Amino acid sequence: MTEPTLISMYGITKRYPGVTALNSVNLSVKPGEVMAIVGENGAGKSTLLKVLAGAINADEGHIEVSGEIVNITSPRHSQACGIAVMYQELNLANDLNVAENIYVGRELKTRFGTLDFRAMERGAKALLAGLGIEISPRQLVGNLNIAMRQMVEIAKALLVDARVVVMDEPTSSLTEGEVETLLALIRRLRQQGVSVVYVSHRMREIYAIADRITVLRDGAVVGVCDALSTTPNEVVQMMVGRELVDLYGLRSVPVNLHASPALEVRSLSSGTLVHDVSFSILPGEILVLAGLIGAGRSRAALTVFGAVKRKGGEILVGGKALALRSPSEAMDAGIGFVAEDRKNQGLFLGLPVRENISSASLPSISRMAIISVASERKLARHFAGQLGLRLSAVEVTAGTLSGGNQQKVVLARWLARKPRVLILDEPTRGVDVGAKAEIYQLIRDIAAEGVAVLVISSELTEVLGIADRILVMREGYGVGELDAGDASEKRVMGMATGVQEVVA
Amino acid sequence: MTIQKMTGNQENATAGNGTPPLDTPSASIGDRLKALMWRLLLARESTLAGVVLLLVVYLSFASPYFMTPGNMTVVGRQIGLALIISVGMTFVILIGGIDLSVGSAVALVSVLTGEFMVILGLPPAVSIILAIASGALIGVVNGTINAYVGIPSFVVTLGMLAVARGLSLGITSGSTISGFPPEFLYLGQGSFLNIPIPVWIAAVVALGAHFVLTQTTFGRHVYFVGSNEEAAKLSGIQVRRIKVTVFVISASLAALSAVLETSRLSVGQPAAGNGYELLAIGAAVIGGASLFGGVGGILGTALGTSLLLLIQNALILLGISAYWQQVFSGVIIVAAVALNMWRKKRN
Repeated sequence: MTEPTLISMYGITKRYPGVTALNSVNLSVKPGEVMAIVGENGAGKSTLLKVLAGAINADEGHIEVSGEIVNITSPRHSQACGIAVMYQELNLANDLNVAENIYVGRELKTRFGTLDFRAMERGAKALLAGLGIEISPRQLVGNLNIAMRQMVEIAKALLVDARVVVMDEPTSSLTEGEVETLLALIRRLRQQGVSVVYVSHRMREIYAIADRITVLRDGAVVGVCDALSTTPNEVVQMMVGRELVDLYGLRSVPVNLHASPALEVRSLSSGTLVHDVSFSILPGEILVLAGLIGAGRSRAALTVFGAVKRKGGEILVGGKALALRSPSEAMDAGIGFVAEDRKNQGLFLGLPVRENISSASLPSISRMAIISVASERKLARHFAGQLGLRLSAVEVTAGTLSGGNQQKVVLARWLARKPRVLILDEPTRGVDVGAKAEIYQLIRDIAAEGVAVLVISSELTEVLGIADRILVMREGYGVGELDAGDASEKRVMGMATGVQEVVA
Repeated sequence: MTIQKMTGNQENATAGNGTPPLDTPSASIGDRLKALMWRLLLARESTLAGVVLLLVVYLSFASPYFMTPGNMTVVGRQIGLALIISVGMTFVILIGGIDLSVGSAVALVSVLTGEFMVILGLPPAVSIILAIASGALIGVVNGTINAYVGIPSFVVTLGMLAVARGLSLGITSGSTISGFPPEFLYLGQGSFLNIPIPVWIAAVVALGAHFVLTQTTFGRHVYFVGSNEEAAKLSGIQVRRIKVTVFVISASLAALSAVLETSRLSVGQPAAGNGYELLAIGAAVIGGASLFGGVGGILGTALGTSLLLLIQNALILLGISAYWQQVFSGVIIVAAVALNMWRKKRN
């Protein structure tokens, strides 16, 4: 290596009881370089970042910054070395404004020792303008969307002259448009000589910005590649250590186009976010609701499920109109709902997997309101097995499972009810590549059994990969329907952003 | 049956793919017994049970009065009366709420029992039913405001704490009511098979509550709401209904305890139940319940209640001034929770 490196990590090893989370990992980042770190969940990415951030101490190995050995022992120390880490959960105070957040811990004072709000606002404004972002420094952070909050976090990092910004899956809750803004910002940082360590699952983003890619598997580096000379497929293969069969799977049973729709939604309205939305799904068909975040897709789905109040329109399951005052009514009509936010809306993290799976089916396994634990265990095991969960996982608490397995638990809960209509809101968010393929296959299998499936997705490749038909929503309106065959990323994106409108 | 050691095999569980482990559906009775023993030993409550047992053994040596029938009756009755309230509190804490009004509810129901039975001269049975129904009403109000208006239970029940206490003082102008019929007094003072009636009632209440929480759909729903309210809602659970029911259970059990205490003391008094809410919360928390909801159980609460009251009794028997008792209770509550957190971390 002739070029100087900014950050070098050598032989980093971290052991936990029973697991070696990191096994002699090397990582080097040059000034002004975007280094992507990829790997499946559990590959050790987060642990590596935490070592760099000073949140945990490695058992072996050392870190060099600009060629000097540093012993990073605390997050404060890491910051002092010019390392800024942006975690998935942003470290911002929602009740404070943008300027106050940027200057938190480094507040400017007036001569009298009071806070100098004006100087901080001016500074924040200049900093944000330098990043090409237009947010008022007086905005409350709680009122910003996630993409904008990330910008604030980046601005905060630059205030302390960070020489390397570490981003842990920054785009997991961004829409395609917001992702572009973030990527543009990263290119800007690179021009200014700031290095970026970018952790992500998404090959497209990585190939859009990364100079080099470090691939982790099972706590060890399996390769460092040049983004220019390696194909995405090769990287994915290194990640999973095996050949990826077609990620999205193929339809095995054709949809019976003459069947009557399992779900019909007519002119649905709800609050300010859903206006006059209509669609229908045939048994066995997969309809994807595409659009930007905030387009009203989740709200529309929650309304169909009775969890959000309906202002107008009709919802019919199997031709019968539903009153839909509560989720339990929708469930009785045969609708299942896999919510977007697994941790906050889906799982009972502290309770066993068994109880999570049976939670929506208690009446069927109890008599006179008394639960038969034997039937419950049988039910949980049956569906755990069907979804490829280990049977020994049935009694552990749901919070200990990986993202992909947690999603299977939620799926199992709804499959146990034998639904006619299954709604899945962002079913693969926070799930690694291997588990993604499994979940797509499960969705295919569910549809093949005649269930009408409604998927909400913000990932264009996913939308195009699994949909039979696509309904694009924008600002609360259904702006157009596409058959999978006619759809392209450009067309869907155009409709979602309103650049071109195609009404089928 | 596979033996789950609660924490031992997380890695296996997270691995996800691979072949399912060998299962032996028809394990021998010996194996099952062994598994049961292990589960008992590793259960959250076993440490606490050990502490309570040690305390009992220590006290029976340290004080000649501890094991006397007289003292046992007194302690048993106290534990019984407190346990009935703590059981109700456990339901509320399990949904992630808190009920600060149980002590005041005891006072109001105590006064109302006197009003119905002594002042109005209603038959004891009718008076008791009316008194407990009034107590339940407190729960209806608490639960409805909490669930439908959305005010946090801490605030709602803090308000009710003042209101119910004020009502009981207002109704009686601050004085006590005595002159209860003897057949009513038997309820709080009498014994059956040498065991005080309140202990029998508390045992029935605790066993019933344990059964409801562990075996019924309602109990499951209580845990779901406490574990993740949003997920519960999206699983079709009528969250608001569960919340109201839980507050009604808490207030009704406080009312039941109030009736028994009134009978024990032969007097209805507006000063009754002072500080009972803290005792009940402490008991549940010592028993392993989480104030964030979703974690806890009746067995733990029963042990927690016993521990707190045994220590009170011990301090009296060992001749330590009553003024110091609260200091001990406070320290023990915090220490127990610290111990629990430490255990969790180690696992």
